[in-house]
Amino acid sequence: MSDLIIKYRWLIIGLCLALGAGFALLIPKAETDPEIRNYVPANMNSRVETDKIEGEFGVQDMVVVLFSDSCILTKNNLQQIKDIDHAISRMKGVSDRISPFTIRSIKGDEGMMVAEPLIKRIPVDGADFQVLTNGIMNNRFARDIVISSDLSSASITATININEPETETLSRIDSVIKAHPGNAEVITGGLPYIRQHIMRDVKKDGLLLIPFALIIMLLMLKLALGKWRSVLMPFSVVILATTISMGLIPLLGWKMSILTLLVPIILVAVANNYGIYLVSRFHEISYTEPSISKNLMLSSLIGSFKMPILFSGLTTIAGILGLLTHSIIPARQVGTLAASGVAIALIMSLLLIPALIYIRGPLGREKKRKKVHIIILDPFFNAISGLIVKHPGKILLASALFTILISSGIFLLRIDTNQENYFPKHHPVRLASEVINSKFGGSQTISVMVTGDIKSPEVMAGIDEMTLQLEAQAGVGKVFSISQVVREMSKAIFDRNEPGYDRIPVSGDAIAQMFELYNMSGDQGDFKQIMNLENSKAHILIRLSEPDNNVIKAVKKKIASFIGSFPATITIGGYAIIMDDFAASIIKGQVSSLIFALVTVLILLAIIFRSVKGGLTGSIPLASSILILFGFMGIAGIALDAATALLSSIMIGVGVDFTIQYIWCYNAHLRSGLSYADATVSSLKTIGRSIVINAVSVMAGFSALMFSGFTSIRFFGYLVLISIGSCLVGAIIIIPAFLMKFRPRFVEMNLLKKVELRLRSA
Amino acid sequence: MILFLCLLPLIHAAAQQPDAAMIMSKSRDLSLTGSMSAVISLTISEKNGASRFRTISMTTKSYPDGLEKRFIKFIEPADVRGTAMLVVDNKNIQDEMWIYLPALKKTRRIVSSDKGRSFMSSEFSNADMSSPTLSDFVNTHFDQSGSLDMWIIESKPVTEDKADEYGYSKKISYIRKENFQIQKMEFYNFDNELFKIIEIKSIYPLEGGKYIIKNMIANNILTDRKSEIILNNISEGTKVDDSYFTLQNLER
Repeated sequence: MSDLIIKYRWLIIGLCLALGAGFALLIPKAETDPEIRNYVPANMNSRVETDKIEGEFGVQDMVVVLFSDSCILTKNNLQQIKDIDHAISRMKGVSDRISPFTIRSIKGDEGMMVAEPLIKRIPVDGADFQVLTNGIMNNRFARDIVISSDLSSASITATININEPETETLSRIDSVIKAHPGNAEVITGGLPYIRQHIMRDVKKDGLLLIPFALIIMLLMLKLALGKWRSVLMPFSVVILATTISMGLIPLLGWKMSILTLLVPIILVAVANNYGIYLVSRFHEISYTEPSISKNLMLSSLIGSFKMPILFSGLTTIAGILGLLTHSIIPARQVGTLAASGVAIALIMSLLLIPALIYIRGPLGREKKRKKVHIIILDPFFNAISGLIVKHPGKILLASALFTILISSGIFLLRIDTNQENYFPKHHPVRLASEVINSKFGGSQTISVMVTGDIKSPEVMAGIDEMTLQLEAQAGVGKVFSISQVVREMSKAIFDRNEPGYDRIPVSGDAIAQMFELYNMSGDQGDFKQIMNLENSKAHILIRLSEPDNNVIKAVKKKIASFIGSFPATITIGGYAIIMDDFAASIIKGQVSSLIFALVTVLILLAIIFRSVKGGLTGSIPLASSILILFGFMGIAGIALDAATALLSSIMIGVGVDFTIQYIWCYNAHLRSGLSYADATVSSLKTIGRSIVINAVSVMAGFSALMFSGFTSIRFFGYLVLISIGSCLVGAIIIIPAFLMKFRPRFVEMNLLKKVELRLRSA
Repeated sequence: MILFLCLLPLIHAAAQQPDAAMIMSKSRDLSLTGSMSAVISLTISEKNGASRFRTISMTTKSYPDGLEKRFIKFIEPADVRGTAMLVVDNKNIQDEMWIYLPALKKTRRIVSSDKGRSFMSSEFSNADMSSPTLSDFVNTHFDQSGSLDMWIIESKPVTEDKADEYGYSKKISYIRKENFQIQKMEFYNFDNELFKIIEIKSIYPLEGGKYIIKNMIANNILTDRKSEIILNNISEGTKVDDSYFTLQNLER
């Protein structure tokens, strides 16, 4: 292999640079997809059903403009709302809107049915305001929909016209709000705004986190390797692997998502490892054999490190590939991109770095760099190895107890698919959703489509019963259905003491005539979101004030309980239902990716150590780290979400290296004739140090994520420290104690005939 | 000077054009009838091809002070048969409407001031179904008006409130020069975008140049919905007693 590298060194360098440049040109073409529903496959039941409902009743993505003041019902506030509402109504990008100025009041009054705007004119005196307040409180289509019950907030809800560019529409709405200042504080929310924030924040995060991670990595490499020339070798591999991976996104026709932000950071943190080993070894050879020829140096370098690096890379790829078993689309994409990036880094480390080293030649008799970390780490390893040798059983017991204790937190682990929680607490998205959830019924929705003869009294009564039961359900803020309109109509037609008052009529003709009556006074288009014009489909819209996964499940269960006896076909969909499927996908994906990663890594370890027991032993730190990770998440209240669900696979991929390195070195020491105790001390002093540097380097790379604008990505950054930290402890404490205590036979066998004690100097 | 001479014929033509408001007024007056009755078929066609039908019988009576009364009875579909409406179209005050629902045995008065609202859920608005109030609009000649055989008049609501009430920012009316019969109306939304076209397909001629629109189609360009009204069994000039337009008759 070294001969080939020497022969084609310039070709290798040129090819790597050309690939990097080519893919770099593709990166600007990458688009961001802020639509969270695209995280689940298009053929998933909830998406199919939601598409059916939206095909009939329009997309339920609404922009909400919120006005808040100590009392919103003042002349100035109402004028501000009216002006903004008026300007929004003129926009091409808005197809429908609900505001205090569009809501109609339907009431029976002395033989009249009055269908008129809730606010005909802005009141001028106290008496008029009192009349308006009463009107709002008695109007179920106004109270807590356009004006909050505490009279502190008002809202304009606008449905976006999907045929117009969404960004342009939102920008026009923002301009309108800016052009109409007033006393009320105005904030905007709703899914289109969340999408816009995601688009902006993904870009902002990319521009902040990637350079930050690269700077951290440069400093880490400088600390580990000393010379800038040496630093640039693994660093160039990182840059090229990251560039190629990110360039793959547009090439494969994919789009960026919040999760894609993790790919460059994973690569920055992981892709330099192989290069560090090679360059460190290159330094060692240069110092120990200063007069060595270029060819011999390269042969020695590759011969000693080819297999460990290859195994290390393969196990990392295997762990990350566990993400492919996820049904969450961006998770699979992250798996593919990160695994490709690691594979590219692995190949380039084995080809490009040796080619660069060959061109550079041996360092000669340069003064050996003083290793500061030796001074810091040696006393630590002395103490640790002493304890392990003397009390391996106690260490294992303490570790097991600690793992069990922390892992009990798993029972507290919750799933969170609410994308509003991706944002920090004081982010405009969170502020708006808090107001919508607490005062206007909720920002997330569940839709039930009823297909049948809606005008039949049986179907209408069924819709009414479902509406009433859902209104009483915990976590449900508001329910809208056609039966409520019929009840309101009945209140306008009948007097309070008549039997038909606030009731669903018992004949189909009566219901049909009520609709006809409404057509005369209003417009059937007023309720086109809850019943189609052919009266063959109705839509029950449920807004959730607590968009929690448990609430969604309970509501879904309640709706499902109607299905058997309902006199029409029921279809359940909506954003919250997609999110419920998304939560199920996270759990399923989490379990399948963990099983895949653990089994694959176990097989690889069994091959590397030529023993099933070896494979199982090597998996101990990973298994305990997984338990600690999920237990810690449960205790700390960090939810399993789209981002944190990826962590365990990445942790397995990265963390397994530490164990392989330790066992390999330990085996080499044993085979060189050392006792178990001496091999433990010696291994910790040599490879233990490298493992610590490697782990710190990985953690440092990932630490950039702690500065992300997305809470979920931030938590990912914090949790990487916990998970890699526990893998590190597993590799340098638990595994040495286990090997010391149980002395498995595989650890004494010749693992790789050709790879000898050279590992020690790593 | 040469430019002035070139423009002279055009200036002259413009000076010859009758006042736009006068054209609109004349056209409106020709469509006013004393009294009439007809069976009206209303077809509403959706973009997806689905259609809904309504058949109603309508009797109208116009009074010299501009008051117009309409009595409507639903014939089809079966579930609304017998539903009856009485509309009193006042010239300067809010319209009055009563509806009788036979299945509920109830008569209710409906109060609605919004002329832009849809007529029976069709693409026609309430305003399209009655004679326009001329004082609500500023009428001017539009480009090419009078150049062929048409007057093309642009009507803009006088205030923003009126624009909201009618639901459009401007209307372009195509009126035949020879008989002042309206041929087509184009409606523009608040983005100044054409959103609805009403075409007069046929008329029912009356004496003195007056006429009743027999067949008209409203096409919503933005939603691709289409509504068509056809008047059959037209009977004009028949004397209808005032007692016909009463609440008692509504429930009969």
